[in-house]
Amino acid sequence: MHSNLLIILVVGTALAFDFTNGFHDTANVVATSISTRALSPRVAIALASTLNFAGAFISLKVAATVATGIVDAGSITEPIVFAGLIGAIVWNLATWYFGLPSSSSHALIGGVVGAMIAAKGTHAVQFGGLVGKVVIPGLISPLLAFAVAGLAIVLTYRLVAGMRPGPAGRGFRYGQIFSGGMLALAHGTNDAQKTMGVMTLALIANGNISANHFAVPDWVVLSAASAIALGTYAGGWRIIRTLGTRIIKMDPAQGFTAQSAGAAVVLAASHVGFPLSTTHVMAGGVMGAGAGKRVSAVRWGVASNMAIAWVLTLPAAAAVGAVTYAVTTIFGSGVLGPAIIAVAAIAAVTLILTRRARTLEHRPVGAQA
Amino acid sequence: MSVATAVVDVHALLQLIYVSLIVGVGICAVYATAVLAVARAQERRRAGQSASATLYAALAAVTLAACGLAVVAGIAAMTTK
Repeated sequence: MHSNLLIILVVGTALAFDFTNGFHDTANVVATSISTRALSPRVAIALASTLNFAGAFISLKVAATVATGIVDAGSITEPIVFAGLIGAIVWNLATWYFGLPSSSSHALIGGVVGAMIAAKGTHAVQFGGLVGKVVIPGLISPLLAFAVAGLAIVLTYRLVAGMRPGPAGRGFRYGQIFSGGMLALAHGTNDAQKTMGVMTLALIANGNISANHFAVPDWVVLSAASAIALGTYAGGWRIIRTLGTRIIKMDPAQGFTAQSAGAAVVLAASHVGFPLSTTHVMAGGVMGAGAGKRVSAVRWGVASNMAIAWVLTLPAAAAVGAVTYAVTTIFGSGVLGPAIIAVAAIAAVTLILTRRARTLEHRPVGAQA
Repeated sequence: MSVATAVVDVHALLQLIYVSLIVGVGICAVYATAVLAVARAQERRRAGQSASATLYAALAAVTLAACGLAVVAGIAAMTTK
C-alpha cells in the first residue's frame, strides 16, 4: 500500500534540496556581475531568481536523463529517493559552510546512487549512464568552459585594444546584464530539472506514474521552479565571494566572457540532455577568463581546493545517501525512518543557521561571506 | 574504442563541444565589436566626422542585432526540444 505521508515527505525534501540548489548556486549566476559592479547585489539576485524560475519551464530533457538514465527506475522506492536527497542536502550545506562552489547536481546524483546501492546493490545502478551522461561530461565541461572563456577573452582584448578603459568597461557592464540573464536562464533550465527528475522518480516509486511512460507532471515543474527561484533569491554570500573575487579579480570584459562561455556550455548541454554542473562550468569560465589575460592572475590554490571538493562530491554524497538509507531501514520500510531523519536534519540546520546568524548580526551585508 | 562509444554518446559530446565553442567565442567577439563600434561612432560624431560615425553606428546596430538574434535562437533551440 502506498504511503501518501511518505510521498509528501519525499516531495518536501526534494523541494528543500531544490531550495539549497538555488541558494548554493546563486554564486554561479551573479558573482561576476556583482564583482565587476555591472549590477547591484539585490538587483543581480532578483534578476537571477526570476530567470531561474522562467528557465525551469524551457525543457525537460535533463529531467528525463536523471529520472530514467542513471538508476533503474523500476527498482526505486521512496526511502531511496529520500536518502539520496538527504545525502545531497548534507553535502550542499557542508560545502556552502566552507564557501566551496561544488556541484549540487553531482551531489544529487551521488546521493541517489549511494542510496540505491545500499538498498538494491550495484546492479540497480546504470553505470553506463552514470559515466557517459554525468562523469565524462562533468570532467569535460569545466575544461570546455575554460577554453571557451580563454579564447573569447583573448579575442575580446584584441578587438577592444585601442579603446579607453572607461567606455569599454561600461559596454561590457551592459553586456553582463544580458550574459548574466542568459546564465540564469541556463541554470534554471539545467538545475531545476534535476529536482524534477528526482520528484518524478519518487512518483514512479509511489505508483503515481508508470516507469514505462515517463512524463513530468505540471505541478512538479511549477513547484521545482518556485523552490529554485526562492533559493536563488535567498542567496549564498560565501560562495559569491569565492567565485566573484577569490579566484581572480575580474574586469567587466572578463566577467562578460566568463558568463557568456558558461551560458553557452550549459545551454548546449541542456540541449543534448547532459545534466551538467553549472558550478563546474562557471568556475571553469572564470578561470579561463583570468588565464586568458595572464595565467598567474588565477589563484590556483583556491582553484585546486575547489577541484578537490568536485572530486569528493559524488562519493561523499553517495556515502551520506547510503548511510541515511541504512538508518531509515532501522525503523522499518514505512514513513517513520524518513520522518525521524527529516526532523533531525531540520533541527541540525536550524541550529547551524541560528549560530551563524548570531555571529554575523553586526556585520554589513557585503561582509557576510 | 567500442566500449567508450557504448558508454558515451560521442555525437552528443562533440555537439556540446563545437556548439559551445562557436556560440561562446562568437557571441563575445560580436559583442566586443559592438562595444568598439559604439565607442568609435561617438568619437567620430564628436569630431564632426559624420560619414564615418554613421558607418560605425550601422556596424554597432548590426552586431547588437546579431547578439539579440543569438539569444533568441538559443532560447528557441531550448523550447523546441
